[in-house]
Amino acid sequence: MKETVVLDEKQLIAQEKANNPSLLKTIWREIIHDKMALGSLILLAIILITAYSSPLFIDEVANKRVNFFNVWKAPSAEHWLGTDDGGRDVFGQLMLGTRNSFTIGICVTVLAGLFGLTYGLISGFYGGKIDNIMMRILDFLMVLPSLMFIIVFVTIVPNYTVFTFILIMGAFAWFGKARLIRARAMQERELDYINASRTMGTPSLKIMFFEMFPNLSSLVIVNMTLTLASNIGLETGLTFLGFGLPTGTASLGTLISYARTPDIVQNKWWVWLPAALLILVMMLCINYVGQAVKRASDARQRLA
Amino acid sequence: MSLLKVNDLKIYYPIRGGFFRRVVDHVRAVDGISFELQPGETYGLVGESGCGKTTSGRAIIGLNNVTSGEMLFEGKDLAKMGRMERRKHTKDIQMIFQDPYSSLNGRKNVLNIIAEPLRNFERLSPKEELLRVQELVARVGLNPESIYKYPHQFSGGQRQRIGIARALALKPKLIIADEPVSALDVSVQAQVLNFMQEIQEDFGLTYLFISHDLGIIQHMCDRIGIMYRGRFVEEGTASEIYNNPMHVYTKRLIAAIPEMDPEKRFEKMHLRQSINQEYQNDYNNYFDKDGRMFDLKKISESHSVAMQ
Amino acid sequence: MLQFILRRTLIMIPQIILVSIIVFMLAKAMPGDALTGAFQGNPDVSQEQIQQIREKLGLNDPWYQQYGRWLANAVQGDFGQSYVHKQPVTHLLAGKVENTLLLSFFTLIVIYIIAIPLGIIAGRWTDSWADKVIVTYNYIGFATPVFVFALLMIYFFSFVLGWLPYGSSVDIKIEVGTWDYFVSRARHLILPVLSGSLIATYVTIQYLRNDIIDQKLKDYVKTARAKGVPEGKVYTRHILRNSLLPIAAFLGLEITGLIGGSIFIESIFSYPGLGYLFIQSIQTRDFTVVTALVLISSTAVIVGTMLSDIILSIVDPRIRIE
Repeated sequence: MKETVVLDEKQLIAQEKANNPSLLKTIWREIIHDKMALGSLILLAIILITAYSSPLFIDEVANKRVNFFNVWKAPSAEHWLGTDDGGRDVFGQLMLGTRNSFTIGICVTVLAGLFGLTYGLISGFYGGKIDNIMMRILDFLMVLPSLMFIIVFVTIVPNYTVFTFILIMGAFAWFGKARLIRARAMQERELDYINASRTMGTPSLKIMFFEMFPNLSSLVIVNMTLTLASNIGLETGLTFLGFGLPTGTASLGTLISYARTPDIVQNKWWVWLPAALLILVMMLCINYVGQAVKRASDARQRLA
Repeated sequence: MSLLKVNDLKIYYPIRGGFFRRVVDHVRAVDGISFELQPGETYGLVGESGCGKTTSGRAIIGLNNVTSGEMLFEGKDLAKMGRMERRKHTKDIQMIFQDPYSSLNGRKNVLNIIAEPLRNFERLSPKEELLRVQELVARVGLNPESIYKYPHQFSGGQRQRIGIARALALKPKLIIADEPVSALDVSVQAQVLNFMQEIQEDFGLTYLFISHDLGIIQHMCDRIGIMYRGRFVEEGTASEIYNNPMHVYTKRLIAAIPEMDPEKRFEKMHLRQSINQEYQNDYNNYFDKDGRMFDLKKISESHSVAMQ
Repeated sequence: MLQFILRRTLIMIPQIILVSIIVFMLAKAMPGDALTGAFQGNPDVSQEQIQQIREKLGLNDPWYQQYGRWLANAVQGDFGQSYVHKQPVTHLLAGKVENTLLLSFFTLIVIYIIAIPLGIIAGRWTDSWADKVIVTYNYIGFATPVFVFALLMIYFFSFVLGWLPYGSSVDIKIEVGTWDYFVSRARHLILPVLSGSLIATYVTIQYLRNDIIDQKLKDYVKTARAKGVPEGKVYTRHILRNSLLPIAAFLGLEITGLIGGSIFIESIFSYPGLGYLFIQSIQTRDFTVVTALVLISSTAVIVGTMLSDIILSIVDPRIRIE
């Protein structure tokens, strides 16, 4: 009897880990079984690796230098995607823009995710009056035309930087998440494992983040992947309109915003069309991967 | 001194209506119940679903708010305690939940589930904690190797044992068992019940046993309180209730226990008919003009009935 | 029922007041006020005189007094003077509202014309090739940012193919009221409407498809089948009744989407509506116009959401209980 108590703990832990695949593993398995998702993931990885490693083979300083002898050059061996109005290489800007747009998209998504998660968890966990008040506030925030407000804030904020831009976008991107998480938290709250934790004297905050949150994590991950795409779309769109990244910070939207005159749209397509198509491809890839993640989080929908 | 003394406990929920959502009436979930638990005994709360028995149990452990009344635990009123003060008594009162599936967090392994109360109240090194959990797991009859498994890898009966181990971790004095076996297969029920009796002796536990199943209550409990629509209709020792039910509601409940012996089936049917007759004739003896039960009246030292 | 409508309407009032306060605060935070631009570069007006006029106009009063006046004026339709256009904001808006309403209306119509049949087809014949095509279309619609799509539409239909015009709302030099004018307006609407609607269908399609798939498995549908209701009627009489009604609930959401979308669409197509005006005003720092537009759009969304809640409560009695 005594012998059974003394066991190889590590071996036991490893064995049970294998029996209970983590969410990450399930997602991976789901993606591998879905050709579209796998293709999307590979394509996305190629785009991102190229973009993020571009400083290794593209001279960024040279790329920012204006060269008037080289204006509006069509694609060639030297400039794969031609040059813009300042004679700068479009391909280099495309890579830089992808990098910036993607990084900002991630930042906004994470920021909004944290905010929405906290708000939704608190509202759903406490319920009752607190929930009522918090939901009324959220109802109000959700009816604001957020695009207009973002644009207004971008214009009136003093010392406008990339950081403030992320904050402003994040401030308007969490409403839906908060509502989603609150709805699920309300359901979880009724389950006895939460009651059990309370009867065992676990503090509320600990219950929220260590008991309830792990059960909501798949929901959060799915939602974040799906909104990542729309956040990148919004950032490039705002930059396209001229209310996004401060001047000097390239984004995919900056390149597309060249398409303001018929001449450029029609005759100098190499400046804006690649960026537009790249956004399209990236959004689609993220969404296909996101759909696979969504299926992985719900055992009934899994293909694998 | 009694371990727990509940005095005129009331739990009302407001019904809101009208344009301004004003409180127009109350649902009287628990409407003035009183009972006492002696150390070491098992007290059964019985009644149909919705009669307020679970609400009472959850109020005692602090999951529901109390509208009025006292809950004296070792002489101190739980109902009046603030959050911090109440926390001190968390160790003494624990609960076994009805649903062994939802009461264990599926994202945590057995070690983390059972260690949760220990981590809240006792400062143990990981090694001590592991030993304590292994001890508890072994005590409830599970393999100590299984502490790294997750709840979904166990059967319902095994899960309920994990729930019991978790409730035992803090060495409580009172355990509130809310329908602890009604989600389990009948074949497993007896196992878990007998096991609960075993640990009652070992740990010197007092049970507040909530159930709708009269057979189980008879098997487990020393004294029984019958609840109906938020009030007590009858209270007494197990033998008094089963052999000499006084209130018509109790009689009907007991007559409804299925009869295994086919020979006695007609006998039972006649019994039920005569009780029904009594219900119709003597209704006013048992219910006042609003259809409410009367207050309990003592008819012997231990037996009391809500009759006029 | 009446009670629900009344209560829902009452909730709207604090929302509108709160929005107006926020918009007012934003307006105060924006550079410039009613005098900016009025005397710019006029050497005859001294700093002192400007101060006097400020006092007279009440620009030095506490904020709540100014807010009260501003709100009272706004309710009466007076949003002040545009600094740039030197005319009342209300005049400026009047010419554009019609264009935006026209654009939004047709966009909404096209969304429903496309989305409802596709949603039903995808839901009824799940996993057929038609469903797969629709689902792919949905993925693309969900993923595509509206401004990228609009640009690609212009590129193909206006430049590569040359079929449709892309700028403004009508060709210049055409007499108002003639048949040609009507045709020209219609042709100018096609691209903006299609750009706004083709990729905005996914909410409705997705919802309808999922809901029909859910409903198909419900017991009432099995009962209908069991008693011999023909398959077509199972859908028209039973499933669609339940699935189509809640689409009304998305109306509020669609309006929010349309306002956001119209900013992109109108400024890409230089379509003279409120969205384009908003961008132009922001760019020229014409903040009285901006304030008015934000206030109007917010109110529109609040009213739209309220309407869809009420419509939903009429079609679905369960909502009323809460």
